[in-house]
Amino acid sequence: MRSILFSDFAVRAYIAASAVGLTAPAIGTFLVQRRLSLIGDGVGHLAFAGVALGLLFHLTPLWGALLVALAGVVGLERLRASGRLSGDLSMALVFYFGVSLGAVVLSGLNRFDASAIGILFGSVFTVSSSDLAVMLALCAVVLVGVVVVYKELLAVSLDEETAQAAGLPVEALNMLTVALTALLVVAGMRAVGLLLIAALLVVPVASGSRIAHSFRASMLTAMALGVASAVIGLMAALVQGRIAPGGSIVLTALAFFGLSMALGRRAFRRHPGRLAR
Amino acid sequence: MPVTVAFSEVTFGYGGDPVLSAVDLTLSAGEFVVLAGPNGSGKSTLLRLCAGLLVPESGVVRVLDGSPREGAIRRRLGYVPQGLRAPGIVPVSVREVVGAGLVPARGLFRPLRDTDWTRVNGVLEAVGMSELAAECLFELSGGMQQRAMLARALVGEPEVILLDEPTTGIDQRFRPVIVDELRRRADRGATVVVVTHDPEDFHHVVDRIVVMGEGNLRELAHDEFHTAARMQ
Repeated sequence: MRSILFSDFAVRAYIAASAVGLTAPAIGTFLVQRRLSLIGDGVGHLAFAGVALGLLFHLTPLWGALLVALAGVVGLERLRASGRLSGDLSMALVFYFGVSLGAVVLSGLNRFDASAIGILFGSVFTVSSSDLAVMLALCAVVLVGVVVVYKELLAVSLDEETAQAAGLPVEALNMLTVALTALLVVAGMRAVGLLLIAALLVVPVASGSRIAHSFRASMLTAMALGVASAVIGLMAALVQGRIAPGGSIVLTALAFFGLSMALGRRAFRRHPGRLAR
Repeated sequence: MPVTVAFSEVTFGYGGDPVLSAVDLTLSAGEFVVLAGPNGSGKSTLLRLCAGLLVPESGVVRVLDGSPREGAIRRRLGYVPQGLRAPGIVPVSVREVVGAGLVPARGLFRPLRDTDWTRVNGVLEAVGMSELAAECLFELSGGMQQRAMLARALVGEPEVILLDEPTTGIDQRFRPVIVDELRRRADRGATVVVVTHDPEDFHHVVDRIVVMGEGNLRELAHDEFHTAARMQ
């Protein structure tokens, strides 16, 4: 048992999933606050089409996913900002376009097999050292981006109109938010899969928001719960032997959400100032 | 005193319906001005034009010797729209909300410093919210949320303060605290423009009263204003 839990492939999986578990709630906190919780789903489906198009044009799946996801979210944000399509309608259209294009291209290439399932639901135990390096680099870019523009993103997420009136570059900041989301989704493709990465953007944030008193504390709590979900979920998958690690990670995150619902903010009432700033 | 806000022949409408027709208005540093008038008379529109959130169909709006659509000018304004409330999903503390008001002044990519948080504490004290600094904003009453939004607009020491119904929802006990703080800002040289349906709150501190209606502006004398305020 111990040898499986600490084998080379397991350690790589812990690092990969923890990096995604740490990073996803960092950007997810801003998405949830701006009622864009489902954008991760839309981006995931775009990335699925990107993987298929990458195979069609002999690109590595990761680069295909990255290019299509980035182009897609930029277009999506432009549509939303212009007011030509409501946020949820534009996301739904992208959702269906991405998954159907991916299915058509992959089946046309005769590649609609176990590897497609791995893309959708994750295959973290087969992550190589080079895969891991790319994932860590993408997560690092997202984390650095969030740290550098944290105060600006917070101001915009409180109220776009006031932020605009105060001279903040709201459109550019919104574009940056969705671009960082696209990078995170692609980073999490191998760890939890394109169908489940959106859950790590949202579920730990929902848990953190139930128990914290400030935005910063919510984000830090969500990041800690994201890492804990990744490690516990992976351990469960390793011990059981057959269950999909992506699913066990997200179910663990949902269990934490249930716990946070039961505890509530009042349970942490005695120390409201500790993480308030 | 130098002119801070100048509307020259400004016309604006929504979907062909005129709201402002060739409006002229000049405000100076240190003036505390109330904009009054019935619903739909264009008070909020005038404020949004002043904040650079709307563009006039014709005419010119100048604020602090520039266009209010320039980032450098906007950073010198403090604006609170009507009915602004905290988004209620991820908790945000009162201190964080007020700190967000310093983001434009601090500049992009630069974290807030200890001196900024000292200013945040100072403005929270001025609006009577020091003890609520660490509280989650959306768990507070509407009036308390409004006071926090005002503190956010004031914390950057703006030279032009634009407030749409700033006392709505605020407990009667705290209204004088807000009004007196705005008067102090004007005494320190800021131009304070308040849109209100409750002119009675401001009658003792205001310098000018502008009544809007049918696309035009009319200035009221103080005694006329006091009579009108008492009748509201």
